[in-house]
Amino acid sequence: MSAMVYGGVSQTGSPIGGAMNVFDRNMKRKQKQWAASLEDPDKYEYLKNEVGSRVADRVYDIARTFPLALDVGCGRSHIAEHLSKVGLLFLTDVSESTLIFHVLKPDGVFIGAMVGGETLYELRCSLQLAEIEREGGFSPHVSPYTAVTDLGNILGQVGFNMLTVDIDDIHIHYPGVFEVMSDLQAMGESNCAWNRKSMLHRDTILATAAIYKEMYGCDDGSVPATFEILFMIGWKPHESQAKPARRGSANISFGDLGKINQSPSMDKPKER
Amino acid sequence: MSGANVWTRSRERMKRLPELFAQCGPEATAYGKCVTATTASKEELRKDLCIREFEALKTCILSAAKKTVK
Repeated sequence: MSAMVYGGVSQTGSPIGGAMNVFDRNMKRKQKQWAASLEDPDKYEYLKNEVGSRVADRVYDIARTFPLALDVGCGRSHIAEHLSKVGLLFLTDVSESTLIFHVLKPDGVFIGAMVGGETLYELRCSLQLAEIEREGGFSPHVSPYTAVTDLGNILGQVGFNMLTVDIDDIHIHYPGVFEVMSDLQAMGESNCAWNRKSMLHRDTILATAAIYKEMYGCDDGSVPATFEILFMIGWKPHESQAKPARRGSANISFGDLGKINQSPSMDKPKER
Repeated sequence: MSGANVWTRSRERMKRLPELFAQCGPEATAYGKCVTATTASKEELRKDLCIREFEALKTCILSAAKKTVK
């Protein structure tokens, strides 16, 4: 199976095929290239390294070896560093979930991680309050994130089976909001949503720093930033996979659960 | 863009902000408390509600900047 995957992105940076156009992908590519050209890019890769090792953990948790794997959006190969049970590993820069689904062989697995949910809520709230008090209104500065509850639907709609979604909360402490923002920029994670404001007033930044510290500051003077990482595992359907049983085929009731210890010869309940 | 221009000067000033901010703890706390008080009380946060505290914070930052000028 070839691993040359071309992203569904047109020249102008907007997605083709009717997907929701939230992000300016050309800008994101420029931000990532700028971040990669910094003097010391490894200094800012701590979050991606940590998430990469947790994804690799999940690969190991699966009791199979894989002859061929595709690392989509690999960055600095944060996942590959930790993997050895994969035969061939291709690293690419593309991410479209339907494309991933089609590229997988039946009974192939997709293991993914992304920030979502409550990530950077401290930054978002502080910025919002500061902008209201200083400027009289506010605009979004932190990207809209996928909620955990939506993730299952999204993967299910694409066609993945046997979904697993779980959350890891990572709290990172910084000296202040300036460092939070400059680290995010150096990671290549600046805002690139089309609806972003192109400017952040100095006064607003100052106000944000004071509010962030007052609302979330810790005793040692640092401020926390939350990264909520959503991990997802989905399988491309295959006959060998367990399927939900047919409706009405249950022959044991949940009420019998209490009797399980008494009858060790009973088969596994075939409930849905 | 090379050479000194408004962006390089602006960036230099921004880089100094964290250390200046550290020197203005009480003013920052006062402003922060003023804004966050609205999240608990019925009063809605509106523009310039805490302008006094913010001006104090800004004055502190500016005088700290003058003190440590290169």
